[in-house]
Amino acid sequence: MAYSEKVIDHYENPRNVGSMDKSDPSVATGMVGAPACGDVMKLQLKISADGVIEDAKFKTYGCGSAIASSSLVTEWVKGKSIEEAGQIKNTAIAEELALPPVKIHCSILAEDAIKAAIEDYKSKNG
Amino acid sequence: MNYFQLFGIEVSFDVDLNQLSQTYQTLQKSVHPDKFAHASSQEQLIAVQKSAELNDAYQTIKQPLARAEYILTLRGVELPNEQHTFGDTRFLMRQMELREMLEEVTHAEDVDAALAAAQQELAQEYQQHFSLLQAQICENTDAANMLACDNLRKLKFYQKLNIEVDRLEDSLFDD
Repeated sequence: MAYSEKVIDHYENPRNVGSMDKSDPSVATGMVGAPACGDVMKLQLKISADGVIEDAKFKTYGCGSAIASSSLVTEWVKGKSIEEAGQIKNTAIAEELALPPVKIHCSILAEDAIKAAIEDYKSKNG
Repeated sequence: MNYFQLFGIEVSFDVDLNQLSQTYQTLQKSVHPDKFAHASSQEQLIAVQKSAELNDAYQTIKQPLARAEYILTLRGVELPNEQHTFGDTRFLMRQMELREMLEEVTHAEDVDAALAAAQQELAQEYQQHFSLLQAQICENTDAANMLACDNLRKLKFYQKLNIEVDRLEDSLFDD
């Protein structure tokens, strides 16, 4: 299966790979996984007091599409409020990366990672 | 007729694999194309279909995770969609650690020892989940069946890790 140029670009030059201290109350951590392919994705957001995402980091073990989806998401969420970030849809990710139908679940995983991170932030700062 | 009935055995997670393999070979012989060389095309077709069904049944019962999934399906348990995102944070954190551990194997001073240690750790955790799965399937209550589904999903992550370990081992021996 051929990957799109955008997927290859994110795969070869992933943006914002890394980890943040998950015990920091301003850091939101979203962990998600896909049993079908064993992909594991960690998305971390550094959120300011007024609810703006200042920084984002990811670490993903999975195929090129999963890595590209999470890399793209870290670029997209920066500067957004958590409400705006929570509205990012997998379809937009899939479209941007031109993912084929069999790889749509990678974009769903990335969307779910944002949601999981926001959940974590709310439970920490409830 | 379900897959277990095809082999004349009870629906159970405990399967005698030697016995299963023998029964499988006997049954496959009975539908072998040579036996149907002079049969009608209709009969030949049925034999081919039977052979394919036996193969599916054998592969399903032989592999423990596929067998567990099949038993749960027979019980009418609705398995979560494979594509559905799994969100058990603690479990996933551990999965990430295990993947990091595998990455480090290549850079270890004693690669063989590091690989062996990683394999042992993985095998141990797999076995823990597997024993739980076995007990849950045996218990066969609604609650246990739900837990078995959850465990099955976890074991699939380990299955994937085991594939990665095999790949790593191959790449290390290639050098």
